[in-house]
Amino acid sequence: MSLGDLQVLLFQLGARVFAARASDLRRVAGSLLERPEDGVAETVLGSPWNPRRGLVVDVGGEERTVLVDGVLGLRVVPEPDFEALPAFAREVLPTAALTGFAMLDGIPTLVVDLPTLVREGERHRSAVPSEEESRHA
Amino acid sequence: MAEQQERGSGAPDPAPRGPASGSEPDVWYFAVRLGDGRYAFAASLVTEVVRLGPLTRLPAAPPFLPGVFTHRGEILPVLDLGELLLRRPVATRPGGRVAIVHADPWRVAVVADEIEGLAQVPRRRIGPPPAAQQAGEFLQAVVADDLGDIGVLDLPRLVAAARARSVPA
Repeated sequence: MSLGDLQVLLFQLGARVFAARASDLRRVAGSLLERPEDGVAETVLGSPWNPRRGLVVDVGGEERTVLVDGVLGLRVVPEPDFEALPAFAREVLPTAALTGFAMLDGIPTLVVDLPTLVREGERHRSAVPSEEESRHA
Repeated sequence: MAEQQERGSGAPDPAPRGPASGSEPDVWYFAVRLGDGRYAFAASLVTEVVRLGPLTRLPAAPPFLPGVFTHRGEILPVLDLGELLLRRPVATRPGGRVAIVHADPWRVAVVADEIEGLAQVPRRRIGPPPAAQQAGEFLQAVVADDLGDIGVLDLPRLVAAARARSVPA
């Protein structure tokens, strides 16, 4: 691994595979999460079909767990194999959590900024009233 | 090789200017088909026409951005002209043709129902846009070639409007 290389964690959410910088992760939670209700399930990436794993990240000094369908492992990606999101796509996407692509075996795999993903998910959750809140409104 | 270079060199400036005159050179447009309609934009915006590679979809992308694809190592956003103009998505498929355009400051790949290619139009056949039409806001002119009428689009303005529509408040 040279200085410009970056380690990414590949994970599966629904039918898709995404990458995240390994340095963003504190750990991968196992199949039995202590409090699965605390996990972040709904994000701009969609929801897991069968959340068996959790990606534990640090957000503002607190741990948050992004629920995913599976963890596929770590890959070392040379710096030239990273591509930024095209400028136009960056402008029109409603999220800053998609940062670009890691070219893995020639296939562009979306790189996700996990802390941003969690922050955006929580903002969205607090902006949308829950079913219970809606009933009492 | 799947790619095709559609533009000849030395194509005249395609921007329509002033009233038509018999001695003025023809104007070059790049024509596409959307449903039953024919549309075009300045040929000078098109850098090349290539085959669409596998599309990578982007989560939460607006409908006019069906995804991105890789062309010679560059990742290009794909713009659905049908969705943008008529709110009727184009059926994108790998191997279909896309036009790579430079709509300042962005470089994007444009998909339509059919890519026709260059259309050479005498200046005298350039007319004003109709007062009311579905794509009217972005129509600069109507031109006619041997195959019929073509609505000329202000593509950079169309792309900028799409961007403005999507930018979160």
